[in-house]
Amino acid sequence: MFLDQSIAAMLILPALGAALCLILSRPRHVLTAIVGISALQLVLAANLWTAVLGGHGFVTAAASWLYVDAFSAFHIIVLALVFVLSSVFAGVYFTNASSDQTFTLTIARRYGALWLGSLAAMTLVLVSNSLGIMWVGMEATTLLTAFLISLYPNRLSLEAMWKYLLICSIGIAFAFMGTLLAAASLQVGSAGETAFFWTNLASAETHVDPTLMKFAFIFVLVGYGTKAGLAPIHSWLPDAHSQAPTPVSAMFSGFLLNTALYCIMRFVPPARHALGEHFASGLLIFFGTLSILVAAGFIVFQRDAKRLLAYHSVEHLGIIALGYGLGPLGAFAALFHTFNHSVCKALAFFAVGRLGQEFGSHEMHAISGALRADRLWGTALLVSFLALIGVAPFSIFMSEYQLLRAAVSAGAWLPLALFLLASGVVFVAALRHVIAMAFGIPTATVRVARNGSAAFLIVGVAMGLLLLLGLWMPLSLSKAIGSAAAIVAGQP
Amino acid sequence: MLPFLGIIQALGLLTSFALLGTRSKGAGPQWLAFQGLLCGLVPIIMHADGLTTQVVLLAIGNIVLKGIVFPWVLLRLRARAPYHREVVPFIGIVGSTLFGIPVLALSVWLALRMTPALKHAPFVMLVLSIFLIFVGLFLIVTRRKALMQVIGYLVLENGIFVFSAIAISGTLLLVELGVLLDAFVAVFVMGIAILHINSEFGFMDVDQLTALRG
Repeated sequence: MFLDQSIAAMLILPALGAALCLILSRPRHVLTAIVGISALQLVLAANLWTAVLGGHGFVTAAASWLYVDAFSAFHIIVLALVFVLSSVFAGVYFTNASSDQTFTLTIARRYGALWLGSLAAMTLVLVSNSLGIMWVGMEATTLLTAFLISLYPNRLSLEAMWKYLLICSIGIAFAFMGTLLAAASLQVGSAGETAFFWTNLASAETHVDPTLMKFAFIFVLVGYGTKAGLAPIHSWLPDAHSQAPTPVSAMFSGFLLNTALYCIMRFVPPARHALGEHFASGLLIFFGTLSILVAAGFIVFQRDAKRLLAYHSVEHLGIIALGYGLGPLGAFAALFHTFNHSVCKALAFFAVGRLGQEFGSHEMHAISGALRADRLWGTALLVSFLALIGVAPFSIFMSEYQLLRAAVSAGAWLPLALFLLASGVVFVAALRHVIAMAFGIPTATVRVARNGSAAFLIVGVAMGLLLLLGLWMPLSLSKAIGSAAAIVAGQP
Repeated sequence: MLPFLGIIQALGLLTSFALLGTRSKGAGPQWLAFQGLLCGLVPIIMHADGLTTQVVLLAIGNIVLKGIVFPWVLLRLRARAPYHREVVPFIGIVGSTLFGIPVLALSVWLALRMTPALKHAPFVMLVLSIFLIFVGLFLIVTRRKALMQVIGYLVLENGIFVFSAIAISGTLLLVELGVLLDAFVAVFVMGIAILHINSEFGFMDVDQLTALRG
């Protein structure tokens, strides 16, 4: 079959695209190129996804170095979708840039190369069977995305970039220590390259040393957890999200964080084999609940719309981690929530980014009457915020409802109560923020541009997906998520 | 094999204490270079009875990068920096050196805890690797200069490198290559970041980067 080539193509295509961006001669061409390449990536991802689900449940290539199962295929398709949406939005965003942030050829080339480079790196994380190579890909995303934050170097963006670089480098170093400990915990047949293979580590026949595996999981959770923005090690996240250009913030929130959480989840099956059912899930529940609570506290006091969304990311990543800790039902809810959160958060960032350009500031008190000033992005702002705080009938309501059911059936009463409490706080606080921004009279200085078809397209697709999946879950999607959940949480 | 490792451990501890106690111009990168060289030797000694080309090439790659290239980059950055005196770090030089002693004891204790699970890892190297990780973290957290923070990161990296050389039997060529490449890029990315910060702010004191909060 040509499937193994298609996995390789998903790595080579964005890498070549990144190189191509460096030689294009117009900023507009770069923006077209990134849309074209991410769209091709989405086609390849969809093809791979159907092959994985229709076949034996996994596809391998390059002598088992590359391995895609239902869990990674699901993440790959979300990744590609977020990239397509954000790439189209990048065209809208940069062509409307203000005069102090001109999208020159130098900046366009740098942006295109780093953008597609991080797509390649994230794909490498998701298709690697070797936990070592997965780590290499994760570290590469940190290094590539650092300069996306300070695409326009100024004091604030450089400060955010330096914090991101240093904090995440330490986190990633911890994750590597965890990866080494996991490889060292293999007692039998530890020699050779396969010591790092996930398929080897997670297989029931492999014997691992429980003490080392315990150390390994803690290191991995703290290390990748830094990159995933789990509290209390999330401190880089609001700075980076608020200072990066908006398409980059959308990609960070929409997928970079999920990639890190994906890495943690790859270590859960081996940890379960070695340490029993409760060790890994207990830690996930703890860090998940803590993130939800911390984020809720910060959301109340935010003044900057992008920082507000960044704390929403901490909250939702916490919800996803909590879901993974609640067994098979919870894992299903967590995966569904991953998809919903990625689409919704990307849309919210798009809206805040464009309105920020029109109102000249991301400060929430500067934005008012968004619905009147710009009907399209005002609506997108209102809908994405309502969806984000869990208003029915959008799909985040459904995934949070499933999570509640999972918590009840797992008997996790304390996390359930804390989750409900924090959600209540977030609901009230965020609703207050969004009503002030969406309704009212626009300020006099608004600079509204006519929205092109690209803008209508991405808003339509994102809102359509959120609404559709909130009302109706196709059976095939439910099966796909179910088989992905079974990989990390075991059979229900 | 053990006497060599003992010497490497002693010298490795010495470089760490020197880095904790240094405040003079340019001494940081030089001690780091010496430490990188020492750590690069560990895999060769570990595999002394069955040396393969893979092991040798990886060790040479590590020694060249961590012993020569990285310190050279840091020295170049140091030369472009506008300041000519070292500002006192958050925790003073004496305090930093004193910090080393209980942490060394802690490293020995942790190594004792891990030895039963890691049977073929030499004890002295286990102590060194844990100690380097702690010292690296301490330097990153307590130093004001971006340059010293990068040095701290590289000390942390050295600790992990020593751990990977002793804890994993067999060579993992592809993974090691990837790790080496990442470290290589990381140093350049951090270097460029420092230059940007330098040209924008006119200084490299990280403690003044405090505009973003909450």
